[in-house]
Amino acid sequence: MSKGFRQSQAFLHTWSGLLLGWVLFLVFIAGTIAFYREGLNRWMRPELAQVQQPMRVLAGAQTFLARKAPDAKSWFIAVADAQSPGAPVFWVPQPKPGEGRGRGRGGRGRRDNQALIGADGLVATARETRGGDFFYRFHFDLHYMPVIWARWLVGFASMMTLVAILSGIVTHKKIFRDFFTLRRAKGQRSWLDGHNATAVLALPFHLMITYTGLVTLMALLMPWAVVANYTDERAMGDALFPTMPAIARAGRPAPLLDLRTIAADAERRLGAPISSIEVSEPGDAAARVTVSQSPNATLNTRTPRLGYDGVTGRLLWQAPPTGAAAETAGVMIGLHAGRFAGAGLRFLYFLCGVGGTVMVASGMVLWTVKRRERLPDPQCPHLGFRIVERLNIAVIAGLPLGIAALFWANRLLAVGMKGRAEWEIHAMFLAWAGTAVLACVREPRAAWAGLLGATGALLVGLPLYDLAFTNRGLFAALAQGDLMLAGLDAAMLVIGIAFLLIARRVARHRPITRVMRRERRATTPERQEVTI
Amino acid sequence: MMVLGQNHARARWARRGDIALRVLAAVPLGYAASSLWAMALARLLPGTRSGATVAAALVALALCAVAAMWAFAARSGWRAVWTIVLAGGVAAAVAWLSIAATGRA
Repeated sequence: MSKGFRQSQAFLHTWSGLLLGWVLFLVFIAGTIAFYREGLNRWMRPELAQVQQPMRVLAGAQTFLARKAPDAKSWFIAVADAQSPGAPVFWVPQPKPGEGRGRGRGGRGRRDNQALIGADGLVATARETRGGDFFYRFHFDLHYMPVIWARWLVGFASMMTLVAILSGIVTHKKIFRDFFTLRRAKGQRSWLDGHNATAVLALPFHLMITYTGLVTLMALLMPWAVVANYTDERAMGDALFPTMPAIARAGRPAPLLDLRTIAADAERRLGAPISSIEVSEPGDAAARVTVSQSPNATLNTRTPRLGYDGVTGRLLWQAPPTGAAAETAGVMIGLHAGRFAGAGLRFLYFLCGVGGTVMVASGMVLWTVKRRERLPDPQCPHLGFRIVERLNIAVIAGLPLGIAALFWANRLLAVGMKGRAEWEIHAMFLAWAGTAVLACVREPRAAWAGLLGATGALLVGLPLYDLAFTNRGLFAALAQGDLMLAGLDAAMLVIGIAFLLIARRVARHRPITRVMRRERRATTPERQEVTI
Repeated sequence: MMVLGQNHARARWARRGDIALRVLAAVPLGYAASSLWAMALARLLPGTRSGATVAAALVALALCAVAAMWAFAARSGWRAVWTIVLAGGVAAAVAWLSIAATGRA
């Protein structure tokens, strides 16, 4: 590989990494947390009992909907399992005459037409919260901004990441050796080693997660292939997401079959658990039931679906295969979301996500560490340097503190508070804004140590609070065999302690740049590295 | 001394201009060329129409990254610009001819 090529890619790596690194850090940290989205959905609703009998919940959902919305256009039931907080249901009312073919799923309408069925089959009342789903959305929709803008921004940042990863690989002269190299307490060298270790160790994961992430946004980012082949993009949608042919309402009432019967038949035919049931025209002779297989059981996120007659329970329809390319795209999205991954593999996903988050953070810090040594006057750095340095503190140390604040808001805000779910999120941004102010006014090292330490204390406090004030603390969860809740409490404890240890290290750290400079002058440099 | 300083300043501006050209080649032109290749591949790839469409989009996303790398690897900023414009132009011609010949669904 020519030296010129490597140097050009090193330049590209530095700047593509730096410019959107802060967005990327947010995307990585939120996405990593979102691997435990279902667990957090329950952790953030401590009132709810764990689902033991999913079919009991399904029967409860049907009873509830038959009473609440007997004449609806359609019902949607998410089938509960041991990891879900229950079965969320929603229904779409019949369109009023003259309303046309509107989807009738406007934000507000849908909010009024939904409920959560708990483990006992009755409507569950839990504190209002977005739960772990918030992190899933935050990961690509950000917040306080139109989702389309957010997705373009995240898509652009992801493309920069892909470029940073590919050019980072090229930049490496000794990729295999760096895999095993970690020189501790050596200033810039250690930051570079740490950046390399987290990047190279999980390199296949980083490449996979970045490219497949782009694939999840492909319809938005790269619609041109569709334009080349179709005059109406709905034709493409019909080919990729076939649905059971719609039929008109018969107008004759007929009782809907017990959905448990259909669910059992579908699980037998699919050989896998199901995740959702959609009923159109319930209570009518033309009722139809569509059952989707759970994405927990297959790599492809576009899972097989079956269509039934809702009155007789006869199988009427199977989703046709969509072809190799569409399945490839579906598998890529499945790989990205990791829903197929069981406990062990999910944990590996989480660890790789942490690795990615540390990779981004160490890369950003490395930019400043490397340049501080070369500053003409280290006491008075130029504006660009100060901006990067402060932004690093505000984002890398500030966002985790904001997230810890969100968890605390989830525990402390009054249960009946109006707009509670949204205030949990406001709490995160308020705390985060506070850290940004602190990052600007305090001396950098004190700000780093203070924020990391505060985050650690907040995180360690959460499981302790659960032990003292809820009946779902670490030991109670273990006694109930609820490993997910126990694991989340334990993880917060461990991550909190890690933050405290890092904070202590930062606080005790004495910069060694002076010494290094003298050493460098005295001896020939060990390795004349390419600048990155 | 004076002359040397001026040369230095000129070299700095030349470098900035070169980087600006590469950014232009990497971001807007790279995206445009990848999009045009998405269109051309969607027409050319074998298989069903929907399959070719999805496959073309998958490839085009990777092309975006390749274009950005090429933009910074090329010998000069101008070279990066014209090669990427040329690559996009070829794709545009292919897509246009194919659509003109057989139409869209």
